[in-house]
Amino acid sequence: MKLLVCIKQVPDMESKFRIDADGVWYDRGDLAWRMNEYDEYAVEQAVRQKEQAGGDVTVLCIGSDQVKETMKKALAMGCDRGVHIADSHSYMKDPYQIAAMIAEFARDKGFDIIFTGMQSQDRGSGQVGVMLAELLDMAAITTIVDYTYDNGSVVVQRELEGGVKAKVKAALPVLVTCQLGLNTPRYPTLPNIMKAKKKELLTIEAKMLQSTDSMQKTVKMALPEKRVGGLFLEGEPDSIADRLIAILKEKTSVLA
Amino acid sequence: MESTREIYWNVGHGIATLAPMYLLALAALGLLVYGMLQRVKVYRNGKPLNRTDEPMARMAMMMKNMVLQSRVLRVTGPGVAHAVFFWGFLLLVIGTGLIVIQADFTDLLFDIVFLKGAPYKVFSIVLDFAGLATIVMLLGLMIRRWLVRPKGLETGSDDIVMHGLLLAILVTGFLIEGARMAVTELGTELSYWSPVGMLVANGLDSLGGATVLVLHRGLWWFHLVLAMLFIAIIPFTKFRHILTTSANYFLADRGPTGKLTTVDLENEDTESFGARQMTDFSWKDIFDTDACTSCKRCQDRCPAYSTDKPLSPMQVVNQLGELARTDPGADVIDAVGRDAIWSCTTCRACQDICPAAIEHVNKIIELRRNLVLMEGEFPGEEVMTAMEQIEVNGNPLGMGYAGRGDWAEGLGISTLADDCEVEVLFFVGCYASFDKRNRTVAKDFITLCHAAGIKVGILGKEEKCCGEPARKMGNEYLYQTMAMENIETIKGYGIKKIVTACPHCFNTLAKDYRDLGFEVEVEPHAVFLDRLVAQGRLPIREEQFTCTYHDSCYMGRHNDIYDAPRSLIEAAGGEIVEMEKHGDQAFCCSAGGGRILAEEKLGTRINVKRVEMAVETGAGLLLSNCPFCLTMFEDGVKGAGVEEILRPRDITEILVERLVA
Repeated sequence: MKLLVCIKQVPDMESKFRIDADGVWYDRGDLAWRMNEYDEYAVEQAVRQKEQAGGDVTVLCIGSDQVKETMKKALAMGCDRGVHIADSHSYMKDPYQIAAMIAEFARDKGFDIIFTGMQSQDRGSGQVGVMLAELLDMAAITTIVDYTYDNGSVVVQRELEGGVKAKVKAALPVLVTCQLGLNTPRYPTLPNIMKAKKKELLTIEAKMLQSTDSMQKTVKMALPEKRVGGLFLEGEPDSIADRLIAILKEKTSVLA
Repeated sequence: MESTREIYWNVGHGIATLAPMYLLALAALGLLVYGMLQRVKVYRNGKPLNRTDEPMARMAMMMKNMVLQSRVLRVTGPGVAHAVFFWGFLLLVIGTGLIVIQADFTDLLFDIVFLKGAPYKVFSIVLDFAGLATIVMLLGLMIRRWLVRPKGLETGSDDIVMHGLLLAILVTGFLIEGARMAVTELGTELSYWSPVGMLVANGLDSLGGATVLVLHRGLWWFHLVLAMLFIAIIPFTKFRHILTTSANYFLADRGPTGKLTTVDLENEDTESFGARQMTDFSWKDIFDTDACTSCKRCQDRCPAYSTDKPLSPMQVVNQLGELARTDPGADVIDAVGRDAIWSCTTCRACQDICPAAIEHVNKIIELRRNLVLMEGEFPGEEVMTAMEQIEVNGNPLGMGYAGRGDWAEGLGISTLADDCEVEVLFFVGCYASFDKRNRTVAKDFITLCHAAGIKVGILGKEEKCCGEPARKMGNEYLYQTMAMENIETIKGYGIKKIVTACPHCFNTLAKDYRDLGFEVEVEPHAVFLDRLVAQGRLPIREEQFTCTYHDSCYMGRHNDIYDAPRSLIEAAGGEIVEMEKHGDQAFCCSAGGGRILAEEKLGTRINVKRVEMAVETGAGLLLSNCPFCLTMFEDGVKGAGVEEILRPRDITEILVERLVA
């Protein structure tokens, strides 16, 4: 079975973000980089799929050379080979362009199951996986929180509003986008970290893949405006309670 | 006539006595050698380790701990009883040896008799008192074991055999002496040189000469058989500690205290890391298990054990020993149990007090290394998250790495990237960099340095976690990654001296980094500041206050720094009311061994227990000099509900308030 897992390198969300000079994306200096959280679930599920039914897992990542560090983690977690689409301006591309690049790489490879995160932590469009499936003409099931594979088809659970879950079944080939709760990504073992260093990591220049025009454009990016800060009530519990009630009465309708 | 006695009196010195006696001795020694060789086979299942370097120093260490019983005597009560018993028994063995030498060699072959006259009298009275002291101590220890029954002291058939046999040997010894004296010495001046013997002789005298002679001969052979039995069963009972514990003093780790082995991660032939089965341990680790006498001193001091967690250092050592002998290929992690393995705070209380010089902590770390490096297992998801945070941001708190130096804004210090011409590099550590409570300590330290006119620099965002919590959790790979990055950064600036505000950073930089080619002098802030005060460079005014002081494990037991922090406190006018457990007996705060990263889910809270000990002193102030301890105590005073009566603080905070402007 051929498995593909698409990952993205994103800044750690605890980093100090600044808007870059163009005003359309964040400044890439002073950031710590890591694998997009949802993609970790995707990698873990792909590896589990391989462990259950055998196969070969390719991990794919688009970005500058520094994304190879993140790819190594995926390889250490158990992916068999890496495909790095070298593109130092990938962060300026829209979801359709990203999906198109992956689709062009994947089209003739015959992947049976493709795993992606449900969205990236930085851009958060949640579109790449779905569009990729469309471009490859395969089923896409989004935001999965449970996954089982049995005899040529996958049965997953999707998280809906209000805690409701939907059970969805699809025959291969299929693409799933992974949500928090699906699994607990493994911590790579040392022998696997060592092995990962020797695994195939193929780099494809982005310009070798046919380029598509973007369908959308980021016009402006801004940090949220500073609102009034929180209010700390200090003192004896009795007086805090009185003041809290006063504030609730004055500024809200909860006690009305 | 010169004072002496006839050796082999009443039993005869002919072949009829000597032949069975020496055959018995030969058989006993044969069993001893055979039994020990069987055990040596078990030791040889372990991996190689050199523990015979500097043999003279090792010999000296062995003599000190064996002959002077230095380690045994660290605990009064049973320790004193054991030491006195040991000395008494040693004298008896020497005395018996002298008799053998004279009777069967010097006298037999050369007609030389040295046990006569004044030397004989000394010999006689020394052995008499030695025998008495030995019996008294043995009875005391037996009362403790079977009547007092201290909590946690495990008594098995071994103990019954050993105590019974020793008592029988000693008592029959006096009976033989008494019987002989009843016939040959009573009423002479010489009998006063064996007061206990004389007492026994007086008791036996009424039986009549003929009976006493028969009794004497019977007892003599009985005593001989018991003594030979004692020698023969050494390898098969805890008596083996006479050999193994003594040898363990010779084979002990010669330091630096608590330094772990640095794993060679580059060696591609290594297929397994850490210990999963007994054959993964070194031979010394297996030998250790044979040196254990189950005295439970470690267990008594273990913070995990005393807060109802499933860890007893003694049990771990015994479990490892059991597996080593029965099934060295079995899963040792399953046998010890994950909860036990993760509960250790590496506080070293067990290892420090162990009278057999057993190394507990590194065994736990080896097991953790296997769990982490081979299985990717941690005690909880929060620990795995912290590890990932260290990987990504260089700190376990998950704060953005770029903000590491933010605490120092406006303090007039610069990063080495801006100015590396500094007297000392302050290696701040993760907690003082990011944790709000501990940032105060970092700021205060800078204030003190400036007051002393010392130019300090920091690494700012270039500093990474020293790797200590990761290493102690078993994540050697992450530790070495962090260490190599820090070492490269620091070396790049040509720094000559580093001061730390965290004992964990100190221990790691000063000891662990040495294996990775790092030679820079490192000092903990308490020692550094103490010297500044002593030199008069740091003007602190005495302003009286009462406090108690908590010795953090990594200042105290791991680095023997007990005086500098106390002298600093006194310089500031502090009167220290010591907790019962202080100095090398201090009780851990719960955060060592990487436990700072883990939730404490089993048993009761260690930090609350420690805070309660501090409350007992009546002092309203709990001083320490470790960010982990401070964090745990701030949490502990809330847990114990004593926020109003006990305030945890770092020594620097006291000093800053007393800085002469």
